[in-house]
Parts: sequence; C-alpha cells; structure tokens
Amino acid sequence: MQKLIHRRPPNAVALATLLIGALACSTLSGCNSLYSEGATAGAGIAGAAIAGSVTRNAAVATGIGLGAVAAARAGVQYSQRVMHTYTQDRIAGAAGPLAVGAVATWAAVHSVPIEPDEKGRVTVSRTISTGTLDCKEIVFSVDTDATKDQPADSGFYVASICRDGQTWKWASAEPATPRWGALQ
Amino acid sequence: MRPGLGLMLVAGVAASCVFMSGCGSIGAAAGAAAGVSTGVVTSNPAIGFGVGIAVQAATDEAVQRLMKRLHSDQQIAIATTAGDIPIGDTKPWSVKHTLPVENGHGDVRVLREFSSALATCREFAFSVADGDKPDAHHDWFLAQACKGNNSSGWKWASAEPAVERWGNLQ
Repeated sequence: MQKLIHRRPPNAVALATLLIGALACSTLSGCNSLYSEGATAGAGIAGAAIAGSVTRNAAVATGIGLGAVAAARAGVQYSQRVMHTYTQDRIAGAAGPLAVGAVATWAAVHSVPIEPDEKGRVTVSRTISTGTLDCKEIVFSVDTDATKDQPADSGFYVASICRDGQTWKWASAEPATPRWGALQ
Repeated sequence: MRPGLGLMLVAGVAASCVFMSGCGSIGAAAGAAAGVSTGVVTSNPAIGFGVGIAVQAATDEAVQRLMKRLHSDQQIAIATTAGDIPIGDTKPWSVKHTLPVENGHGDVRVLREFSSALATCREFAFSVADGDKPDAHHDWFLAQACKGNNSSGWKWASAEPAVERWGNLQ
C-alpha cells in the first residue's frame, strides 16, 4: 500500500486535468465539448494512472485506461441526453396548448451549465393529425440577446410534436443514416 | 523509437485522409502517435497513455469542428437553392471543396411553403447523386428551410430528432 501512495505524480496530473476542466466549466456556460472531452480524457489519464500504480505492464494499464474512457463517455452522453430531453420538453410543453398561429415563449434554464441556457419563441404552423394521435408542426426560434460584440440573433427551426397522454413530446425522427455525416 | 516517427505517422494519416473520404479515425491515430512518442520521454505507461488520450481528445474535437463546417456548406447550398426557386420547381445544387470530403451534388425540389407568426418556411426534397456520371443513382431526402420574417436568407431548419431517437448518433 505504501508503494501506491508513493507513486503520486501521474494521479496528480490526472486530478489537475479534471480540476482545470471543472473550473473552466463553472466559469463558462455551455461547455458541452470541453465537458465531454475533459471528462473522458481525464478519466483515461486517471484510469491509466491508477493502473500504472498497480501494474508495470503497459498493455494492462492501457486496457484499464481505455475502460475508464468508455465508462466516462457513457456517463457524459447520458447526462447530455437528460439535459437535452429537458430542453425539448420545455419547447414541446410551450407549443402543445397553442392554436395554429398563436405564439408563446419558451426557456430552458439548466442548473448545471453542460448545455447553454436557451430561450425563444414558438408557434404552431399546422396541425398534422388529430383524433387518436394528436400531432402538430411547430416553428420555434432560439433567440440570442445582443451583446457588446454582436447584435441580437434568431435561428428558426421546424419540428414535430405529438401528445402523449397529457404531455406533449418531441416527435421529430432521426435523419436518414446516409445523412448522418459528421453527426456520429 | 525515435520521436520523429510519431510525427511522421500523423503526417502520413493526414496525407491519406486527403485521398480518402471519411477521416473520422484521425484522432485515434494522432493519439496513438503521441502515446508512442511520449514513450521515448518516459517509461511510465500511465503518462504515455494520458498524453495519448489528451491528444486524441483534442484532435477529435478539431476534426469534428472541421467536418461540421464542411457539412454546413452543403446545407447552405441546398437551403439557398430551395429559397431561390418557385414552389414546385427543381434546380440542381452542388458543393465542391478543395478537400475531397463533404462534396456532393443533386437536385432540389420545393414541395410547399408555409408562413407562421415567426418565419416563412419551405419543405423541400433534395437528392444526392452517387457519383459524377449523368445516369448516377439519386437518393432523395426531405428537409425544411426557414427565413425569419424580419431577416433575409434561407437557412436549414430541420430540428434535431427526439432524444429517444438519437440511438448511436451522439
């Protein structure tokens, strides 16, 4: 055990990497890429460092490090999905009760700044289907306030929502696989 | 192993990327090369691995950003074409980059236009030709483009899929 505690430097490097990433995350809002890259890289370094203190075999250390990377990546992706589901629910929830042509505002404020806080307007452009399956086509904007460097800006997007019991849920399907391109 | 070898490996991968389309694995190669060259400096596998992973993460990020920018060129070309033509008409689109990635050409056909309180949008079909021959097979897709009521310029407007349908897209 003494030997383990003695070999500190690699662990310290890993810890520093994680801390720098965390620090940058708390000062910046919306640091999705830094969060994912920092967390997975940090986990790999930490994992390999721990392995390095247990075994001198490079292959085994690399294996443990890669395992840590995979686990961290899965964790990061899960948290991003939770955050993004919240944003989609906020927009769908704001658009659900609207009649065609009516406009409402929406906002998604996150307690952890993994995704940027977003806000905008949403309107229903048409009713796709009613009856057993209620679906609507919505047009929503993501509005960015004017800052010192750039004027206010709005992006417009089209999506579909369908009613699931009492709540409205996002219903746009994934792009065709030949169109995934750089998404994956 | 000489440190120069790692650099040569990176350069080799970058060069092969120019000749082949799809260089998503360039990050892994850069990471591996960095890990190899770090091994010259330290015998600790953990440090070598750590440097390798950090380089891979940084390279992946850079490659992803580049591919995204190249792909947005296609979306701009198609959306602008769809905004220019009358409803029902068909017009060709094409994108040609210096690098042989994210290039393409095909047709755009505007299907309908719908106005809303926020923006005017168009639904259009577009095709991507499989090759440069005149009789090349065309794959057809549907998408939307919008123009803000107070702004000019048509932009791609298809929103992201529902999170439940992301699958392994992430």
